Amino acid sequence: MKKHWLTSPFRYKHPDIDPSKKDSHPGTDRVQNWKQTTARLWSYLAIQKWRLTAVFICVIFTAAFMLSGPLLLGHIVDHYLVPQQLDGFGTVLLLLFAVYIGWGVMSTVQTYVMISLAQQAVFKLRYHLFSHLQTLPISFFDKRKHGNIMSRMTNDMDNISTTLNTSVVQIMTSLLTFTGILIIMLVISPLLTFFTLLFLPIMFVGLRWITKRTRLLFQKQQQAVGAVNGYAEETISGQSIVKVFSKEPRVMQEFEQESESLRHAGFWAQTYSGFIPKWMNFLNNINFAVTAGAGGILAYYGIGTVTIGTIVIFVEYSRQFTRPLNDLANQFNALFAALAGAERIFSFLDEKGEDHRIKEGTAKTVSGEVKFQDVSFGYENEQVLHGVDFHVNAGETAAFIGPTGSGKTTVMNLIIGFYTAEAGEVYVDGTPLSEWNIKRLREQMSVVLQDDFLFEKTVMENIRYGNLEASDEQVIEASKAANAHAFIERLPEGYQTMLGKEGSGFSHGQRQLLSIAKAVLSDPKILILDEATSSVDTVTEMRIQEALGRLMEGRTSFVVAHRLNTIEKADTIYVMDNGEIAEQGTHSELLQKQGRYAAFQQANQQKVDI
Amino acid sequence: MKTILRYVRPYKAAAVLSFFLLLIELSVELFQPLLLARLIDEGLANNDLGLVVSLGLSMAGLALLSFGVGVLNCFFADHVGHSTGFDLRNEMYKRLQESSLEKLQGFPQSSLLTRLTNDITQVQNMIVMLLRFMLRSPLLLVGATIMAFVVNARMALILVVFIPFLLLILAWLMRKGMTYFGSLQQRIDAVNRVMKENLGGLRLVRVFGREQHEIKRFFMENEALQASALKAFRYTALTSPILLFLMNAAIVLMLWIGGAAVQNNEAQVGEVVAVVNYATRMTGALGVVGMLITLLARARTSASRIEEVLEGTEKENSGQYNVKDEGSIDVQFENVTFAYNESRVPALNNVTFHVKRGEQMAVLGATGAGKSSLFQLMLRLYEPASGQLLIDDSDARELNITSLRNQIGYVPQEAKLFSGTIRENVEWGLEGAETEEINKALETAQLGETVRALPEQEETLIGQNGVNLSGGQKQRVTIARALLRNPGLLLLDDSTSALDAETEAEFLGALEAYSCTSILVTQKLSTALKADKMLLLEHGEVIGFGTHEELYGESAFYRQLYQSQYGKEAAT
Repeated sequence: MKKHWLTSPFRYKHPDIDPSKKDSHPGTDRVQNWKQTTARLWSYLAIQKWRLTAVFICVIFTAAFMLSGPLLLGHIVDHYLVPQQLDGFGTVLLLLFAVYIGWGVMSTVQTYVMISLAQQAVFKLRYHLFSHLQTLPISFFDKRKHGNIMSRMTNDMDNISTTLNTSVVQIMTSLLTFTGILIIMLVISPLLTFFTLLFLPIMFVGLRWITKRTRLLFQKQQQAVGAVNGYAEETISGQSIVKVFSKEPRVMQEFEQESESLRHAGFWAQTYSGFIPKWMNFLNNINFAVTAGAGGILAYYGIGTVTIGTIVIFVEYSRQFTRPLNDLANQFNALFAALAGAERIFSFLDEKGEDHRIKEGTAKTVSGEVKFQDVSFGYENEQVLHGVDFHVNAGETAAFIGPTGSGKTTVMNLIIGFYTAEAGEVYVDGTPLSEWNIKRLREQMSVVLQDDFLFEKTVMENIRYGNLEASDEQVIEASKAANAHAFIERLPEGYQTMLGKEGSGFSHGQRQLLSIAKAVLSDPKILILDEATSSVDTVTEMRIQEALGRLMEGRTSFVVAHRLNTIEKADTIYVMDNGEIAEQGTHSELLQKQGRYAAFQQANQQKVDI
Repeated sequence: MKTILRYVRPYKAAAVLSFFLLLIELSVELFQPLLLARLIDEGLANNDLGLVVSLGLSMAGLALLSFGVGVLNCFFADHVGHSTGFDLRNEMYKRLQESSLEKLQGFPQSSLLTRLTNDITQVQNMIVMLLRFMLRSPLLLVGATIMAFVVNARMALILVVFIPFLLLILAWLMRKGMTYFGSLQQRIDAVNRVMKENLGGLRLVRVFGREQHEIKRFFMENEALQASALKAFRYTALTSPILLFLMNAAIVLMLWIGGAAVQNNEAQVGEVVAVVNYATRMTGALGVVGMLITLLARARTSASRIEEVLEGTEKENSGQYNVKDEGSIDVQFENVTFAYNESRVPALNNVTFHVKRGEQMAVLGATGAGKSSLFQLMLRLYEPASGQLLIDDSDARELNITSLRNQIGYVPQEAKLFSGTIRENVEWGLEGAETEEINKALETAQLGETVRALPEQEETLIGQNGVNLSGGQKQRVTIARALLRNPGLLLLDDSTSALDAETEAEFLGALEAYSCTSILVTQKLSTALKADKMLLLEHGEVIGFGTHEELYGESAFYRQLYQSQYGKEAAT
């Protein structure tokens, strides 16, 4: 696209929008129940009532001072400058100065107090949101993308913060000054006021024309941003794959396409929105001209007591007059964006947390007996478990095997209480899970998860997560038991080595060893190993088996694994298929049965007999 | 900021023009009070109605002119901003694509993404705003002072005294404000980090019942953020009253002097009105200073974050010789030592082995033994620190990196797919492949049946907007992707871990129809035993290389390993 630079600004592709159409689908910033949302947000602000009252008083004073400035100026022109007499001139000037100072002081106090109120409110809101998220059931998080939840904490909070900081006060000030100016202007010269007001309808028509377009264009831009983001995220997270398959030119080209459409949508959205201040400025200037011209003519004919001082007042006011209107438009947009964000945050806060009921008389210590009675469970539209029954005595080891998607992980999630059974009941120590204080119960459990998460902290701190009270020695002991000690020792800074984001810099297997050490440290009654050893090499696995053997003693253990030799010693092996338990029994019982388990075993054996 | 400004250079002409347009717009505006002064002093004082009307009309005309120029300014300013943003975005993405992985390691992915989108938007906004109205404030200060001089030099002198003060204070305030906003940004990042970690480690937090611990952690960061926000916001809140106070003091002084001058017939009323109007306009312009501080502070942090990427990346080295497509590849490691990070313990230490054309080698070793690193070097994603990697008997460094990678079918440990259809994903292996070829690859990867059962077969969408494949299915798509290119060298990095034993066995059987050299990392000895050779690694060093029989005879470690899996009796 080699084109002359002078014409290039006019060659951007205008996105397809139809401003004449009524906004049929609600935009993102549509507030559903704004009355309630406002009241609720207000309650965060209104914790310190007297400070809020102070802000209001300041706002009234600020507006009053702001209005008196031009009035005094007009008075000075008419009574001192035009008649050329300076008696008492100094006093009036001092008065003007005092007004200016009062204005400055009041607006400072008002913003100062408001900011601390606002930041306190945002602090509370942030805290509530975060704490509440800690109580929400796992299914809440499964249904939403992390980015979506994050943006409540980032974008929405940001909007609320700036809005509370400034918008609330500004909206009040704007409303007050606007009314004030209107009244004063009407009192001084209704005729000249009429001329000034002539521009209001024109202004609104223009603004409507612009905002109708910008709203749609900003939607387009947002879509384009989303597309660019999505594409970049995918390709950057798969960077090595892109390289290995030499797809750099292709992804660069595709990225440029996405980037290009963002450029066009962004250009138009911002250009149109840039018209707003230019338009307001234009009207201001025209207004200035009309006020001056019409005022001059009126003064010439001596109609309606228009003096030079009146013109001065009107000229100053007309600038202050459109500004609050413009501010109001902006502030209301910001306010609605913030309210929409607040509504989204409140909808999170209104989500019901996990049940934390404590069954009366339930002993705090758990023996670890687990029973599933006719348990069924499904995600959204897909049934995963159908009437699963089993009973594991305290201290026993139960192993679950079966093809991917057969429901093994779901069984584990139900035991941990991440999900609630749709039908049937899960019992721990003979008490239905729904009657347990789930947090208490989890204190007695430990899990080594498929995709374990590590914090950006030292190795030591990450393992200590299993038991925050553990001493360094205990952490090292646990690492030894999990056979993680050897590799940790080899790290440049040993236990003090920092982990990167999401455990980067450590291999999958190493991360799992750390996770096992963590489980060892937490000394649970119920131990859940979800494919715990699938990424650990045979050598390490051999050592882990022995460590786990020790660990599992005296604890109820649930093991999910692909490899059969890790579960041969289990008290009961459950073979799962399609959400049901297809077979169960000990290793030798199942072999004799000549069923699925035996077939699995054979397939495994074949590979041995080369 | 300097590097970023280089990207504005192609649009310099447009930027200069938009600046001039802004200047015109502004000077038109500055003429208004002058005309007002004449209207009062010449029109009204002399009862000249004609002059009043014509002055009013010319003021209106000027307003129209200023509007037209302002709209044009919008077009040019946005053009400069959005085109610079576009170029920056593409350039940054390009650098990321071309950079060696070693350099990219330093940047967490999420941070790269924000740099690519948010940070560039910030810089782009700054350019647009600067050209559209931010420069207006300083220009207005200067312009209004000049005009005030034209109207009445004595009163204007006050402005000349005040303005340097004003500018000095402004500069100081802005500098301080920027640092406050810089640290505010850091605090926001810290809070977000806790939140992000909490979401990532959700299950972990729940299982270990660490909710209170997490809440405490968040509380502390949140508190620090609040303190920092209060500081920054209060600071900006303070700036405008200080500036306003100064300007208003100047206005009062000017009125004092003006009043005296009018009485002594040294000045006219209109002149006083005009000069005061200039001063109040300046006051208005100062109102945006707070906004300017925030915008500039944000843009500056963003700019430096972008620069970090632009300067922190480095192109991959590529040699000149192409790798020939001969169906299989010969791979040789000679005393190769390699570390991901200079300060780290080497991942590979003095590794030597040789895999001949068409052979299959299994790599066994403990976690962290350096198995995956072998692959990273063969793919030339990283360079060895010392030693030599020979591909078909020539030094890998002299080979064209693309031609080498095109000969390799790599299946990573963690299945990474892209949104799109299954077919599109498999086609990554070989663009424009025939349907039969794709089907053959799917069949070999033991995915044929699964795909046929899907609603739209290989055209089924996967990922965010499509069906969710299980871990094992994803792994098989990545296998098909690698096989489609008919590679000379197939690298399987524990790529069958999520497959059940039956499927794995069938896949390995079907693989025998391919002529390529293959190297597979595996956790399962049973799988390794099928290979021609085995490489045993421990702590980055080779502790055994050869066939099963050779190793069983030579390596005590291997014997122990074998017996742990199959028992002593199986060894014979």
